[in-house]
Amino acid sequence: MENSVTCAQVRKADGLTSVIDISGDVTAASEPALMSAYEQAEQQGARRLVLNFTGLEYMNSGGIGMLVTLLVRANRHRQPLAAYGLSAHYREIFELTRLDEAITIYDDERSALAG
Amino acid sequence: MSPVACPAPRRLAHFTLPSVPGNERAAIAQVCDSVAGLNLPRGRLERLKTVVGEATMNAIEHGNGNRPDLAVDIEVFAAGAEVIVAITDRGGCSDAGRLDERARGEVPDLARKLSGDQEPAGWGLFLIRHMVDGMEVTTSGERRTVRLTMRTQ
Repeated sequence: MENSVTCAQVRKADGLTSVIDISGDVTAASEPALMSAYEQAEQQGARRLVLNFTGLEYMNSGGIGMLVTLLVRANRHRQPLAAYGLSAHYREIFELTRLDEAITIYDDERSALAG
Repeated sequence: MSPVACPAPRRLAHFTLPSVPGNERAAIAQVCDSVAGLNLPRGRLERLKTVVGEATMNAIEHGNGNRPDLAVDIEVFAAGAEVIVAITDRGGCSDAGRLDERARGEVPDLARKLSGDQEPAGWGLFLIRHMVDGMEVTTSGERRTVRLTMRTQ
């Protein structure tokens, strides 16, 4: 079995926005953690989601697929997605895959929440 | 005109891994160790890690069908200003391997994925193609080798 550990903690940043703090790996095996975090944010009444990748250690193509799945769900509920904390390498991957056109990238949490 | 001297590739590492999902992480770590002396810039090293991980995942999953009894064979070479990683599986003449090649011929498109026209997954080969300086796939019987070339600077 794939030994992949994803931690996704949800916190409410303000009345409309929830932040999902992602740490460890984002791979195909991250689906339960990411979808559970999304559902928790939904229960908090989030109208906007911010993904914090500061603790990201490894992301592969399966993880990108997971983010696409998350994006589909968020789009369905008209919840904009933003992200911050990506390293230069993962920013490049977001650009290559054009995820950066669907998930707004910020440098830090303050600008992400202000955005 | 005198011929340009082309240094013979120097093998930095050769190892095998059982085809178990997750073992791409071991491949990444061993390839990183083997190229430590080449002093790759950080960005290139990160790209190398990603492409080795993706190619090894493909070999484990699509080439060898996640069968632990089948090994993925990995060689790392330094050749002039290039690093070459050759990843070999047993998918050269399997139906699964051929089907996979066809499926992977489709270029992933985020808009189509978001509309449900494409599966969310299927980014591996796309990442490899965009991050290496060269990629060659050869087959010899059941052995299929993906040879990835990346400049060191």
